[in-house]
Amino acid sequence: MSELKEAIYKGNMIKAKAEVQAALDGGADPQQIIDESMIPAMEAIGKDFAEGRAFVPNLLLSARAMKACLEILKPLMMAENSTILGTVVIGTVKGDLHDIGKNLVAAMLEGRGFKVVNLGADVSKERFIEAARENNADIICLSALLTTTMGYMKEIVDAVREAGLSVKIMVGGAPLNAEYAASIGADGYSSNANEAVALAKSLMGA
Amino acid sequence: MTTMATPLIQGEKTFSITPEELDRKELWTAMGYKDAEPEGEICKTVESLVDRLVPAARIRYTWRILEAEKISPRQIVAGGVTFAPEGIICSYLKGMTHVCMYIATAGREFDMAVKELNAEGDVFKDFIADSIGTTLAELAVSRLGADLEALVDGPDNEELLKDGLQKSGVSMSYSPGYCDWNLREQRLFFSLFPEEPCGVTLTESCLMQPEKSVSGFFALGKELKRQPYHCDICRNKNCFRRRLR
Repeated sequence: MSELKEAIYKGNMIKAKAEVQAALDGGADPQQIIDESMIPAMEAIGKDFAEGRAFVPNLLLSARAMKACLEILKPLMMAENSTILGTVVIGTVKGDLHDIGKNLVAAMLEGRGFKVVNLGADVSKERFIEAARENNADIICLSALLTTTMGYMKEIVDAVREAGLSVKIMVGGAPLNAEYAASIGADGYSSNANEAVALAKSLMGA
Repeated sequence: MTTMATPLIQGEKTFSITPEELDRKELWTAMGYKDAEPEGEICKTVESLVDRLVPAARIRYTWRILEAEKISPRQIVAGGVTFAPEGIICSYLKGMTHVCMYIATAGREFDMAVKELNAEGDVFKDFIADSIGTTLAELAVSRLGADLEALVDGPDNEELLKDGLQKSGVSMSYSPGYCDWNLREQRLFFSLFPEEPCGVTLTESCLMQPEKSVSGFFALGKELKRQPYHCDICRNKNCFRRRLR
């Protein structure tokens, strides 16, 4: 299985899928494949990114390979939920059309085993609440890249709390910081996609 | 309603570049590589996207030189409009007598090509395309900066001589949204240009469309000395320009 770990680490999706299939053909347990090869690979690339030895494209390639492998394994698991760390509703807030950073976070979260409901950009508080309810979300993830739109995050946080949803809220985006996140009542802030995964996992108690 | 100030001198340029002309180091920096280079497989995808997207770009910039004055440690007046670029930017403007206001863009054609790519749903490619767009928009700004320096250092220009701008110093470029300058002033900025300069529009939240667009100014003045950006004195610890340093 070290070949699988290396394939995911290097972002080689085709090889990773082939290795997963080979492991299954050899009688390996899907959960064991995930636990012993796939998650360690993602942890390794995340660590290298945090320490400056890997870059955003490396993270994305690994996440893409991981996601493709999970697609093979999910149908074979006893219950779909056993492969899901939690459900995240993610979007860029109303007035802001920046998509790319939020999509990086979504890809990384999916790669680490979260179910992600991506609402796109220019998303209203009503839409966030509706999607969180519909999907029984564990986390709402808000993104803003403009100083003119980050203020709307507080409106969303307040509306979510008022709606009585039992959901954690994490925020991110270039003009934000941890102090701002705390000041609007968010549960956490991350400055990049890699940190976002660690934050989401800690919010889930994983 | 205010009357738009008449610029001392103005210009507009549209240009394209070949994929080979795109500065790879700039692109890699935009992708977060700093001094490193992406490895083989990533490079292959980068090159295929550069080949696909760069020829689609019609890069544009429009600019106008206006009289300007620093009226307080945080404010300037340019073309009769008062801006508050705040203390950090104003500290760089000693000796400023004019500004060159500009709007630059990688263009709608590039934007459309990227949207087509986005529809394929590959976030890895989307990220590279986004970085290509950033590089193209910054290229427009650096070409304008070079044009401006050539203009003030070039053969005698009657208008520049009249206003004492020949052999002027030219500052770095400053933009609303950076170095503490409130992004909402983008609206004042656009008031100095005709409607939809270079096809660029502003949303209610002051976001420029196409997304890969830059607005800003270069300060000019005989006594002005260009100073590097001092990110260490800025309060925005999360600014992407700081991260790229």
